[in-house]
Amino acid sequence: MLHLPSNNLLLQKTINEAIEAYAQGKPIILDRIVSDFDHTTFHVSTPETNNGDIDREQLLLSITTRAWASILNTTNATLPKLQEFLLAKLQLPANVASLPQQVEQGYDFTVALNLSALAVEHLDTLSLLKVYILSYPFQFAIEEFVQLSNAIVDEAEEGIKQSEKIYRIDYRNDESFYIRSSSDRITVCFQTTFQDETDQIFGKVFIQEFVDSRKRNRSIQSSPQVLYSNEPPLEIKSEVKSLSPTKNNNNFITFVLFPRHLSNPELQFKTISTLCLFRNYFHYHIKCSKAYLHSRMRYRVGTFVKVLNRAKVEKADDESESAGTKKDLERRTFTGKKMVY
Amino acid sequence: MSQSLKPYLTAVRYSLTAALNLSNFSSQEVERHNRPEIEVAHQSMELLLNPMHISRNEHEQVLIEPSVNSVRVSIKVKQSDEIEEILVHKFTRFLEQRAENFYILRRVPINNNYSISFLITNQHTETMKVNKLVDFIIEFMEEVDKEISEMKLFLNARARFVAEAYLSEFVY
Repeated sequence: MLHLPSNNLLLQKTINEAIEAYAQGKPIILDRIVSDFDHTTFHVSTPETNNGDIDREQLLLSITTRAWASILNTTNATLPKLQEFLLAKLQLPANVASLPQQVEQGYDFTVALNLSALAVEHLDTLSLLKVYILSYPFQFAIEEFVQLSNAIVDEAEEGIKQSEKIYRIDYRNDESFYIRSSSDRITVCFQTTFQDETDQIFGKVFIQEFVDSRKRNRSIQSSPQVLYSNEPPLEIKSEVKSLSPTKNNNNFITFVLFPRHLSNPELQFKTISTLCLFRNYFHYHIKCSKAYLHSRMRYRVGTFVKVLNRAKVEKADDESESAGTKKDLERRTFTGKKMVY
Repeated sequence: MSQSLKPYLTAVRYSLTAALNLSNFSSQEVERHNRPEIEVAHQSMELLLNPMHISRNEHEQVLIEPSVNSVRVSIKVKQSDEIEEILVHKFTRFLEQRAENFYILRRVPINNNYSISFLITNQHTETMKVNKLVDFIIEFMEEVDKEISEMKLFLNARARFVAEAYLSEFVY
């Protein structure tokens, strides 16, 4: 599996199961937790009605993600606004999906689904819920980018205008990414940490290839420019939390998105969903390489043992059958002769 | 095989064959003990022979420490950059964890200057053919270098492929 898919397959299957069971007239009661990357958890459950019965027609889908708080914070959005945005993104008819009165306890966002109207084709957007949440700050950045580039054209100004706003999204415990738009580009910068020294060195090899491959391979020259540094890049320096020098968390990988990556909503979404998976893709392939090297070393051990076993003296058949203690058989000189004491 | 590798391996082969002249030797300090004298810190220095240090360059060295009933062979595997260092470290650790399959492998190298150590005792030379044992050490030295450089190449190739595959997602 080279690419990680941006939708959640397990979520898709779980809801599909519920739809099918409902269609057959045997609705199932669900209470299932589905995980995703970056400490994201979905909860699919059958809700209770007010008088304590189980409401088999409804299905609650809740999500919690580490990035939620920082997304609200960095975009200055109110909770209802973000909820409205997500509901709109799901593109489901009003009789299918609605926002319940209260968000489920312990989760960030809940949507109530009506099983009688929910169809299989609605699952595509539902399984992309996590990407939609992460795309919220990107929407703001893209709007700003459009404004800034229009301003440049209108006023025929020289130079590049940079937005004052830097969006910081803390999507893991000690890893964040930053978005800043300017009049001709949007910069997305990932700050990432490595678990151990091996990961760090492998990671360096991988990052180097990310930086170089665009220069080397002409067919991917229209991809975003990738930059790497150990220092926070100048664009986002003001937003970066103070770094502890002991931890190896100052790896900054910057993607420079050009207008061609954002030219229409479809491309925008593709760019965003690919970028959101960058960290997972990157670390996933480091782990894959380690696993491959491990199996390779295992094979090597086998061949070495074979070579060493060639050195062992074969026991002659007649000797092994003859009486005599085991010890006698094993004592031999280096030419393979039996030792005589 | 490169020009300078062959004399290096030949030197190791002859030194090792000469050193593997072992005999059963009971401890002269502790009664009813029979232990590899090279591993014991003791008073009777007459049991230890002169160590042989064969060096191809600063990254590739072999130290052979003979004694009356055991020989310790320590190998420093070539590590020219930090990727190779990690790979050698992982590989030798992997082997050492499986030392029981290798009979003659030591669980830890003698010190940090060497990547891996072997301990051959008179019991080993009695149950195995000495020339084949030497063959094994020599083949090990050749193969480890090859393996490490192959793993490094693989890592680079994979990184390149992965990076290009990711970035090609952005080509519209």
